[in-house]
Amino acid sequence: MSLPTDFGPDSGGRVKGLVIVKPIVYGNVARYFGKKREEDGHTHQWTVYVKPYTNEDMSAYIKKIHFKLHESYANPNRIVMKPPYELTETGWGEFEIVIKIYFHDPNERPVTLYHILKLFQSPVTEGVQPPIGRALVSESYEEIVFQEPTQLMQHLLNSVKPITNGPWTHDSDFEDKKVKILEKIKVEQSKARIEIAELKEKLQLAKETIAKFKEEIAKKKNSNTGNAMILI
Amino acid sequence: MADILDIMDIEQPTAEISRESILHGDKAKKKYVTTKTVKRPEGMHREVFALLYNDSNKDLPPLMPTDTGKGYKQTKAKLGMRKVRKWMWAPFINPARKDNAVFHHWKRVSDESKEYPFAQFNKQVSIPSYTESEYNQYLKSEDWTQAETDHLMDLCQRFDLRFIVIHDRWDRAAFRDRSVEDLKERYYGICAILSKVKTNPWSNIVTTVNGEKRSYQYDAEHERKRKEQLRRLFDRTQEQIEEEQMLLTELKKIEARKRERERKTQDLQKLISRADTGNTPAINQVANNTADSHTPSNTTTNIARRHDRKLHKKKLTSQQRPIRTVEAVTVEWSGIKFPEARSTGVWLRSQRMKLPPGVGQRKTKAIEQELRQMNIDVAPTPTEPVCKHFNELRSDLALILDLKNALGACEYELQSLRHQYEALNPGKTLTIPASICNTNEETKPLGEIIDVVGSPSALNSTV
Repeated sequence: MSLPTDFGPDSGGRVKGLVIVKPIVYGNVARYFGKKREEDGHTHQWTVYVKPYTNEDMSAYIKKIHFKLHESYANPNRIVMKPPYELTETGWGEFEIVIKIYFHDPNERPVTLYHILKLFQSPVTEGVQPPIGRALVSESYEEIVFQEPTQLMQHLLNSVKPITNGPWTHDSDFEDKKVKILEKIKVEQSKARIEIAELKEKLQLAKETIAKFKEEIAKKKNSNTGNAMILI
Repeated sequence: MADILDIMDIEQPTAEISRESILHGDKAKKKYVTTKTVKRPEGMHREVFALLYNDSNKDLPPLMPTDTGKGYKQTKAKLGMRKVRKWMWAPFINPARKDNAVFHHWKRVSDESKEYPFAQFNKQVSIPSYTESEYNQYLKSEDWTQAETDHLMDLCQRFDLRFIVIHDRWDRAAFRDRSVEDLKERYYGICAILSKVKTNPWSNIVTTVNGEKRSYQYDAEHERKRKEQLRRLFDRTQEQIEEEQMLLTELKKIEARKRERERKTQDLQKLISRADTGNTPAINQVANNTADSHTPSNTTTNIARRHDRKLHKKKLTSQQRPIRTVEAVTVEWSGIKFPEARSTGVWLRSQRMKLPPGVGQRKTKAIEQELRQMNIDVAPTPTEPVCKHFNELRSDLALILDLKNALGACEYELQSLRHQYEALNPGKTLTIPASICNTNEETKPLGEIIDVVGSPSALNSTV
């Protein structure tokens, strides 16, 4: 496929009205050693990653991904140039990893994700406990939105190829999550709307009652002064 | 002994019997000497070591004085260079005195011819004078006789216009008692009249401005009031002072409460005018814009007033409008305004779910609390529909909070109005509709609620 136009050094020309969305999954897996390691006290091996949500090769549009680890690590700024965009380390503690995704077109600013590295299972677990022997997974769904991308970027985004021929799956069922959360939100939303309507009604009533009370007081005052006048 | 000798770098006499020599013999002494000459002991600070042992006496202070200049030393005061001037015991006459009394004092021989130096401080006040005919022509007064006026002028002359003294020496036997203000009024009145008709030397109360004579106008009435005021202030009892203090603090409290109430009312009216916009589509468009531009921070009085005016206009139309229009209320207007306009470029979907900075921390906390109760993740999976509905839900929650607050304010106002009414009309009261007081309860049918004492309800007819 040949490039339709020469993008030139400054591919600033943006495609009006076009929005391209690239869903991704980022997070970490962690595995407990079973005991504290003698030499450095590390207890877990973990891997932090950024994966495409759909089966596609992100290197088409991603130039590099920068993982910023805790400062106690030797050279905490790790840069991954090629997929798989992941980084494996060992450690003993959880911390926030800053993930910065750079794109091939320098005109598109990099985006930053924040992930709390998870090593330990929360005491209160939602849903099902992961099977014994499997690593702990903590991952999030995210969508990178390219709003009116540059022509170069559009070209790159449209020329992605699948990574594997096999099935592409994730540990977490995000499709299910998406549907369920949306449903739940919608239910609560309709409840909230009803409550708002009721509150408005009450407010209106309160407002009119206030006006009525004021009227009553004014009437009372007038009649009082009237009585006083008569007495005089 | 040995320590001191060491420090002073004096060779120890070997034969001397010291505690060391008795206890340790030669061995200990030798060790001691070596540490001294070689290096400082471990743990001793360099500065401390340097105080004890300086390198082979190089840095000892010089014995010869190097300071040959005068330096900071003061030269001796040179006294008695001039000849002593003579003093003499001499008589003197004070020209300020009229009696030619002669006194003696010490003075320098050289000053002998000079006048008594303190005589210059004897300032004389010039008091206006008048002849009999002048008095009759200009100064006649119903209140003052000429004799009394003469007495006043005499006293003014004698006591240099010290009116307190004049008042004290006033001849109460010959004339009736007069206050200081009366005396001053008469005196300055005379001065003003005379300065107009005569050219005179008592210029101290007459100044010439732009060639026009201006005389001092004494405002006796004002002075009397001023003194009366001071007297009253001084005569207050402790209880009165305390009462005044108490009243002042009360006033402050009342004013603060009033301001608070006004602020709440304004907020409330704003809110209602926003809420009202859901009912009529025609106004909806306009009001939506104002609701959009409205953030919690810009509650200036200006905006409030604008809302106020609009509300008045709307009240006219709202009278005949039915209240229960639930389906109309679902029109979008937001409790939270999420930034809509996005520039071009790359962004993350989850960024759209960030609450705008205008939303306060308290409100944010309250919304999150609500979400937790609904068992909704505070950061749900960010797809486009989820973002949209999640933001709408939070906006609604914020609105509910606002409305609840407004309702609380309304309830407060209603109760204070009821108290007012009860005060005006003892024995009677007004009934506050139950649904307003208890915001948690389900709304009852409207017909039952509206039951305001004394007035046929316009609302009832609309239901």
